[in-house]
Amino acid sequence: MNRTLQGFLRKEFRQTLRDPRMRLLLFVAPIIQLSIFGVALSTETRNVRLAVAPPGIVERDPLLREIHDKSLASGWFLPAKTPVSDPFEAIRAGRVDAVLVPPPGGLTRAVARGDGQLQLLLDATNVTRAQGVERYLRTIAATVGAAQTLVSGGVALGTPPPLQFDVRILFNPTMRTAVFMVPGVMSMLVCLLTIILTSMSLTKEKETGTFETLISAPVTATEVILGKTIPFVLLGISNIPLILAAGILLFDLPMRGSLALLAFAALVFVICTVGIGIFISTIARNQQQSMMGGFLFLFPATMLSGMMFPIENIPDFLRWLAYLNPLTYFIEILRNILLKGGSPELVLRNIGILALMAFFTIGGSLRRFRTRL
Amino acid sequence: MSEILAVEARHLTVRFGDFAAVKDVSFTVRPGEIFGFLGANGAGKTTTIRVLCGLLAPTEGVVRVGGIGFENGAEPIKRKVGYMSQKFTLYDDLTVEENFDFTSSLRKLDPAIAARRRQELLDFISFSRPLDTFVRDLPGGLRQQVSLAAALLHDPEIVFLDEPTAGVSPAARALFWALIRKLAASGKTIFVTTHYMDEAEYCGRIALMRSGELIALDSPEGLKRSTFPAPLYELSPRSEGARIRIPELKRDPAIASLEAYGIRFHVAPRSEPEWERALPELRGDFEIRRIQPSLEDVFIRLVEGGNR
Repeated sequence: MNRTLQGFLRKEFRQTLRDPRMRLLLFVAPIIQLSIFGVALSTETRNVRLAVAPPGIVERDPLLREIHDKSLASGWFLPAKTPVSDPFEAIRAGRVDAVLVPPPGGLTRAVARGDGQLQLLLDATNVTRAQGVERYLRTIAATVGAAQTLVSGGVALGTPPPLQFDVRILFNPTMRTAVFMVPGVMSMLVCLLTIILTSMSLTKEKETGTFETLISAPVTATEVILGKTIPFVLLGISNIPLILAAGILLFDLPMRGSLALLAFAALVFVICTVGIGIFISTIARNQQQSMMGGFLFLFPATMLSGMMFPIENIPDFLRWLAYLNPLTYFIEILRNILLKGGSPELVLRNIGILALMAFFTIGGSLRRFRTRL
Repeated sequence: MSEILAVEARHLTVRFGDFAAVKDVSFTVRPGEIFGFLGANGAGKTTTIRVLCGLLAPTEGVVRVGGIGFENGAEPIKRKVGYMSQKFTLYDDLTVEENFDFTSSLRKLDPAIAARRRQELLDFISFSRPLDTFVRDLPGGLRQQVSLAAALLHDPEIVFLDEPTAGVSPAARALFWALIRKLAASGKTIFVTTHYMDEAEYCGRIALMRSGELIALDSPEGLKRSTFPAPLYELSPRSEGARIRIPELKRDPAIASLEAYGIRFHVAPRSEPEWERALPELRGDFEIRRIQPSLEDVFIRLVEGGNR
């Protein structure tokens, strides 16, 4: 390798790894962030406080009691702490999330009459949560109803529909959100780290003045750009096994595909994001500007990547941004390799797209960069 | 064989948009010369140096450094010169050794040669601390010396020093200038900017810049002679009452210029006979002493005087 590039490599490694804050940013922060994001960004509905009104009805109504007990046993629900006499008031005050109200005379008797109407009051200020609760309770009521039909031969609550789906949930049978979220968060962390680190590195030199000394030597633009990218590509890549191991150990992430393929895809992705970082630093004059530039890219990039919200849900006029976003392709690769075992067609296509993006960001930086002031 | 000039600028103009930082400047520097570049902040000194180091392209005019022009880009010039900018030139978070290592890799020096040069230069600046000292732990004066050594690592013929002694203690400044004179004695051309007039006295020739223009270029002695053809006098007021006469004296036809220097005043008479006539009357209020003009007098007369 060129002597100048070797010098850059030694210098950037020394400077980055020597700084305790940088070490923290590189090796500890990703694990902490991954844990926080993986746990907090769960879209599963849990800990729903369920009440039955009026108080004491549960003991007198066997069918209602069965529904209530099954709900609590499912693990999604918690019993309300205080008895609820006015369900509206209890929901408004935020004491409970859902209230079951049986018809007058009790649910058991109503079902026996052939009129199994059980009222469910839901707090829908959080729509996703309310939908989750409704889905859970429907399922529970249906199983109780079906059992009832068999036992008593009577008219069931909610007659079994004539057409039923035989649903099989593939690749994530328990529908754990972490399995879906963690690959997204992993990509985001690598992206954030490499862009910020790379773009700050060159602008820091511009700010302190060492940049002027640097380009007073007969170095070429290619040498400076490569000297400022290769070290950060290597540092960024060193993060992948760390984050991956954390994902597998902390979140039981399956690893069904080829590790080599994943490593190669990660390399191309990191080259691409480091390229974006270096491009930002050819525009920014100081560290503040490059920080701003980094976040200006990162916010839309994480939102429009399919990490949390499916790309198909993004309105047309914004969706093209998602297709220009390297995160989109890497998240797809990660999910594909980790969960599905990796379809070579999809993975290689996405790697190709990422390589093209890397070519443009680094090529663009080379065009913009001048070894003059 | 005619001697190749170290630096040659002909009608050099540098514009940033509508603003001309350097306007039609011409000068030459001979090899082995200590060439001082003086001027107020924003006079165009740094811009000129940046052009001569190949960091900025001239808008107009011709520049040749070590006999090389811009025809083949800035790289050939960059190889010839050493540059120490007025900002940070060393990495604070690297050790002295690591800084030299990076500089030598930037210049693509052979490791063995670079190691030998480094030792020579460290001996030259009498550096006695461990090589694994972090630059941030060095005192300011020493840091400047290490900076100088790093700028000399590739053995350039011409060295550009942009305010190398700014913010350094007087003792460290004296030491630094001893190094500069040693370098010039060894045949290197030194092109230096400074704000300290005592330092400017060490220069072989001085160029004075004011708002982008070159207003004077001569040896320190020559500058003093041409700026103050008549002798210069120092007036020390004998009383507070004498001070009140100063504005009146400024308008006196016998006096060409009168500048305050602390509690004293420097006066340049318009002509010897007129001054002789005014003298007896002035002696009542002032103690009068004939002095040699300093470069500071020259600087104030030429640079600041021009702004009035």
